[in-house]
Amino acid sequence: MELLKLLSANEIVAQVISFLLLLFILRKFLWNKFTKVLDDRRDRVASELLKIEDAKADVERIKADYNVKLDGIEKAAKEKMEEAIAEGRRISEELRQGAERDGQKMIDSAKLAIEGEISKAKDQLKDDIVDITIGIAEKVIEEKLTEGADKRIVEEFIKRIDRA
Amino acid sequence: MTETAGEKALELPNIVTILAEKAKGTPLSDFLLTWQSLIFSLIIIMLLSVIAYVASRKIKEVPGRLQAACELFVGGVDDFVRGIIGDKARIYTPFIGTLFIYILFMNLSGIVPLMKSPTSNWSTTMALTICVMLYVFYVSIKEMGVIGYIDHLLGKPRGIIAFSVFIPLMMLVLHIVSDFIARPLSLSLRLRSNIWGDDMLLAVLSGFGAKGIPLLLFNTFLVILASIVQTVVFCLLTTIYFTLVLTHEET
Repeated sequence: MELLKLLSANEIVAQVISFLLLLFILRKFLWNKFTKVLDDRRDRVASELLKIEDAKADVERIKADYNVKLDGIEKAAKEKMEEAIAEGRRISEELRQGAERDGQKMIDSAKLAIEGEISKAKDQLKDDIVDITIGIAEKVIEEKLTEGADKRIVEEFIKRIDRA
Repeated sequence: MTETAGEKALELPNIVTILAEKAKGTPLSDFLLTWQSLIFSLIIIMLLSVIAYVASRKIKEVPGRLQAACELFVGGVDDFVRGIIGDKARIYTPFIGTLFIYILFMNLSGIVPLMKSPTSNWSTTMALTICVMLYVFYVSIKEMGVIGYIDHLLGKPRGIIAFSVFIPLMMLVLHIVSDFIARPLSLSLRLRSNIWGDDMLLAVLSGFGAKGIPLLLFNTFLVILASIVQTVVFCLLTTIYFTLVLTHEET
């Protein structure tokens, strides 16, 4: 009971009121404001993290798309290249065939020209032979023929033909 | 305020006792001595209020030192209380946090020259304990209801025990002694006695003069440690009382 003398009802009441006053003040200026600040910051950090996660997922998705597109581009490029090679081959084949055709045409035309020239030459030769024959015949007619002279005329004729 | 003469003799002089000494023989002297602890409590309340007001006046996105300290304290207490009670704890954080900072400042004011620890006065600690007990009682009634609370006091008698009078009666006595006598006494006396003991020791060591300085410094360190520990113990027990009431409903 001696211990209880240390207590004072008035002081207890006053201290209770003081504490309640402090609780009211701190609730208003400290707890309400700072818990709100901390909550806001926590929410903001959480939302930022969520955004980062979303951005990360977007990046992954874009990367996957990019890889798919890159593969597609590589495939398309390969196809284009193959097409170009095939086209080149086709063009070169066409050129080769065209060149062959042109060459053949030139050969054919050259052959025709040669044949023409030969024909011309033959005609010329024929004409010459005819002229010579006519000339010889004229000579034969003009001169009195002997056996020796005949032989000479024939030989001369043969020589002329050889020269022609 | 009604401390014995022996206890008063060991007190270090403080601003109130000095003023009372100057106004000796006048009603002011009696008033100052009577309300000594309350005056120091009010000084601490004013100090905490000013700190809280200044800190909350310009809250910035990038906090300054004071704002960072307040955020650290508020966040720490919130985590501490929620860690023990759970998600329901948010509404109890201001009460327990205010108790914490108030008791800590009152405990530590004993090592400030010309100040005194208001918590070395039993009336102060009893007042805080009464606040705690009344709040716990209010939460009990709120969570369990009046019938539920009476049921809790009777030890929730079920089955054959419900028909016996002795066991529920014993449980009622046990709960009344525990909740309304033992807890308030232990909670208030533990804090008061530890801080009072620290103050007494400081007063005794101060009387040794220059020779007592090393011991005084060492004891000051112990006082700081004891002040923090006793604050934590008081708030931890308060939180546990809330937890017991809140989990009681769940179980």
